[in-house]
Amino acid sequence: MEGTISYRTYWLIWVVLLVLTLVMIGIEAMALPTGIAILLLSGAMMTKAALIGGWFMHLKYETRFIVACLVLGTFLTAAFLVFLLVPDGIAANRMAEYPQ
Amino acid sequence: MSETGTMPAPVYWAGGDSPFAMSWQKLMMWVFLVTDALLFAGFLAAYAFIRLASGSWPEQGEVFNMTLIGVMTFTLITSSATMASAVGAAHRKDLKTATRFVLLTALGGAIFLGMQATEWTQLIHEGARLSGNPWGATAFSSFFFMITGFHGTHVLIGVIILLITAARSRSGTATADGVELAGLYWHFVDLVWVFIFTTFYLI
Repeated sequence: MEGTISYRTYWLIWVVLLVLTLVMIGIEAMALPTGIAILLLSGAMMTKAALIGGWFMHLKYETRFIVACLVLGTFLTAAFLVFLLVPDGIAANRMAEYPQ
Repeated sequence: MSETGTMPAPVYWAGGDSPFAMSWQKLMMWVFLVTDALLFAGFLAAYAFIRLASGSWPEQGEVFNMTLIGVMTFTLITSSATMASAVGAAHRKDLKTATRFVLLTALGGAIFLGMQATEWTQLIHEGARLSGNPWGATAFSSFFFMITGFHGTHVLIGVIILLITAARSRSGTATADGVELAGLYWHFVDLVWVFIFTTFYLI
């Protein structure tokens, strides 16, 4: 880790995280169309994850190589899992609705 | 093989004893966190599959006490900020302040666990079980207990790690790197909750 981050920075991040949490609860309460709600909530979720990883876990101050290994490795594997399973889930739902 | 020493060093990989520019303890902690993240990714992907495959799914707002979930999230985020401050203090060699922040973080974790126990108790009283629930899809409560249970276990382990770190910090035997490793684990617990909170309680 290069240098030391000020307390002020940590607590500013804390405020942003809390605001994002309130925004997410608000989005859920507004009962928006499912697609839009998922898009907005996913965006807020990824922003929160980036703030925690970047500032609280100090990834912002690590070398690009380790950040690429950690972040890309984790998210690509997770995305791979989701995109393998989600189409099957949708297909299983349709088969239950319209049995042959 | 004997000519390796005469080969020019690749510019993209300097090698040496610290190619990642971090201690091996920290690197191993990151490796552990990545594997643990993939465990939770597997759980959440399985949850997404079952939810999509199920014809109906309970409305979360009708099942969960969203105020309680909001306060739980607030507590965990606040504990992450106190932990980050503890790491900052430890890097400034201010172990007294670091100890206070670590203890505050452990307190936040304990409060979170208390609220989770309350949530579980309420749902169990309403009839939620691993094998079924009164709200419809059987897998709903199975996934709820499995995912929040695994996360809660991580929080409990985190609180124990924090108490040990605080004791070491108070006695002067803790290092800044040791506090940072405990911090990495704690922030990971918060990070996982961000995903659980969104995918399980909100979407």
